[in-house]
Amino acid sequence: MDTPLYPQLGDIDAITTAFGDAGYICTPRIATVVYLAAALNKPILVEGPPGVGKTELAKTCAEVIAKPLVRLQCYEGLDEAKALYEWKYGKQLLYTQILKEQLGDILEGAQGLKQSIQRLHSTGDVFYAKEFLEPRPLLRAMEQNDGAVLLIDEIDKADFEFESLLLEVLSDYQVSIPEIGTVQARSKPMVFLTSNDTRDLSDALKRRCLHLHIPFPSIELEGRIVTARVPELQERLGDQLVRFVHAVRELDLKKAPAISETIDWARSLVLLHANELDARLVHDTLNVLLKYEEDIIEAEDQMGKLLKLADVL
Amino acid sequence: MTATLGSNQLLAFIKFLRGRNIPVSPADTLDAVQAASLLGYEQRDTLRDGLAAVLAKSSHEELTYREAFDLFFQPAKNEAQRTSAQEDASAAQESPDSGEVAAGQQDAVGDSLEDLLQGASGGMDPALSELAASSLMQALQGGDEAALSLSIEAAAEAAKVDQIQMFTQRGQYTRRLLDELGETALRDAAIALENSHPRAFAEVQELREDLRQRARDRVERAYLVHAAGDTEDFLDSALAEVRLANISPHQMARMRRLIDRMARKLASRHGRRRRRTRRGQLNVPATLRAAAATDGVPFNTHWRHIRKKKPQVMAICDVSGSVAAYAKFLLMFLYAVQDVLPRTRSFAFSSTLGEVTEWFDSLPVEEAVTRVNRVYGGATDYARAFLDFNSLALQDINKATTVIILGDARNNNSDPRLDLLAEIKARCKRLIWLNPEPRVGWGTGDSAMLPVIQHCHIATECNNLRQLERIVDKLLSEARGR
Repeated sequence: MDTPLYPQLGDIDAITTAFGDAGYICTPRIATVVYLAAALNKPILVEGPPGVGKTELAKTCAEVIAKPLVRLQCYEGLDEAKALYEWKYGKQLLYTQILKEQLGDILEGAQGLKQSIQRLHSTGDVFYAKEFLEPRPLLRAMEQNDGAVLLIDEIDKADFEFESLLLEVLSDYQVSIPEIGTVQARSKPMVFLTSNDTRDLSDALKRRCLHLHIPFPSIELEGRIVTARVPELQERLGDQLVRFVHAVRELDLKKAPAISETIDWARSLVLLHANELDARLVHDTLNVLLKYEEDIIEAEDQMGKLLKLADVL
Repeated sequence: MTATLGSNQLLAFIKFLRGRNIPVSPADTLDAVQAASLLGYEQRDTLRDGLAAVLAKSSHEELTYREAFDLFFQPAKNEAQRTSAQEDASAAQESPDSGEVAAGQQDAVGDSLEDLLQGASGGMDPALSELAASSLMQALQGGDEAALSLSIEAAAEAAKVDQIQMFTQRGQYTRRLLDELGETALRDAAIALENSHPRAFAEVQELREDLRQRARDRVERAYLVHAAGDTEDFLDSALAEVRLANISPHQMARMRRLIDRMARKLASRHGRRRRRTRRGQLNVPATLRAAAATDGVPFNTHWRHIRKKKPQVMAICDVSGSVAAYAKFLLMFLYAVQDVLPRTRSFAFSSTLGEVTEWFDSLPVEEAVTRVNRVYGGATDYARAFLDFNSLALQDINKATTVIILGDARNNNSDPRLDLLAEIKARCKRLIWLNPEPRVGWGTGDSAMLPVIQHCHIATECNNLRQLERIVDKLLSEARGR
């Protein structure tokens, strides 16, 4: 390994600071894994409940190393034509039509089938050249000249078969195209895969990745995250808000509020020029935090207890 | 700490993890060694986080991993206490005056061990002079943790402590380890000092106890690393054969783990399977691409549509006293394979029947099971249960539905209304009856099992985890339609 491709990621403390400057508060855990991923050239598989900043991690990483972010959103039925590459079939057909005459010229005077075929062979596989190749996210990330961040989002939504397709990309940073051969990555991208844990991923895929589980943050950490993201928020309000959210997470809910929802709520409260949390304000804005009617009712029922835990009463 | 010692430790740790059912492949091992050499062994937390990323591949493995890491790489013994001890020692060296004062005080009781050792070079007692010369003694007295653990490691290797197999061998290996360490010198010294120098004797005894404790810890660890895994496997396989009704509460945690593991195995074996079909939406790019070979004539068509099988399982469990324990494990198992059978509905009955699916969706499985037992437990009435079930869910049963009924078919001598059961059978793909009673008991007393068999596709006995696994395995392969 001569010069490292991502010098910004060469030191754990440096990562923590750089990500912090970009507005992403890293736990030592996250920083360590990002450092290892850069040093070992391995993809990171980020797991955790929705909204804890899995996707954000990849985006921030791209920002920190100042490289393009290539994103592949997974869904059921995603296949190689949408993830890897696709032939520009229309262009191929059009060109064969246009070039019919040229082909005639080449074949002119050829005697017998054998000679014609030989002449055709001498032209090479012109119609299966890179010019006819439409790169999709995976191939595009491989084609970047000096590094990129490849984000494969919500891999658990994709089909089982798609995982197998990823294996070659993730372990060797190459793509096999039958008509052309193996395309090596020009530079190895930083790869992030995110999963909401809706199903178990295959062992083969897990084996190729560094595993990072991001849980809901502690009160102290979430406070720092909210302050970093919503600097306008007053300290006292921020403190109450984070405590309140933590109390809400303890309830028996359909969907516990995530960090992203805490941040949204903080922004809403700033917009409303709130200085302090109170029962009325919470009542009016609870729908920012909770997304199911049942959950809102449940939280309303327990409001007194929640506010007490949030240090309001 | 040298790199080789570090990576040896790491390899032992990986073996330890494997013993605790975290699969670590050779490739992972290489990664771990690389990661450790990048991170260094100085910062324990960083090393722990880094190795977690490489070795623990899911969140439940991570819990086990953290536990294992803390057990294996025990935090340095009371860092603060050690440094203060060292400070004391250096302070004592710096000011010999105070040392003399202390020595003067000690004279009242007898010479301290240190004085004796210093005097020993004069050759007063062979046992003592030998002791003074030994590096072990110096390490023990100086509080040099690093040197001490190095010599313990070396002795452990010489005593082949890592070959320990059984829990009961711990004493034997501890003795061997102590012999290799040269503890005999300490013992001889203790005997020599016992009557003549009571103070020094007490000090030697203290050191011996310290050393013995360390040796015991080392052997304990060796047992956990090298043997505990085998024993665990043995316990697991024994537990899988035990009648489910006999599982005691303290075995529940292990049982839970076992079920999870079996379920994961089954889930990966029957992972999502999709078939490409010859109907549905035309895959235009693929068709045109294929057409290029036939001069633009779309001779071979390609289809985009992928058919998804939507198997559905309905589990009807008798939760009356006699069968409740089995129902618990069946439900736990079914919900552990949710990955592959996402559309499981569960019903519980004893006299009346109700749907309990939602409890399993919203509560942890154990809690849901206790709630089911509380609400629906009671005397069994199959007729009523079938009636309730048919009005509740019969219209939802179709040819993709597998219905599992768990019960002993003992209906307290009243009519079980098997005509209702026949109705269920006619609509579903498979009707499976699981009976926790052994086959010989079927049809005896008030058991209506014999007529029941005629109304089921499969009727089988199911009273331990092994049988349950076999049934769920079968269920999955049928439900997924191989």
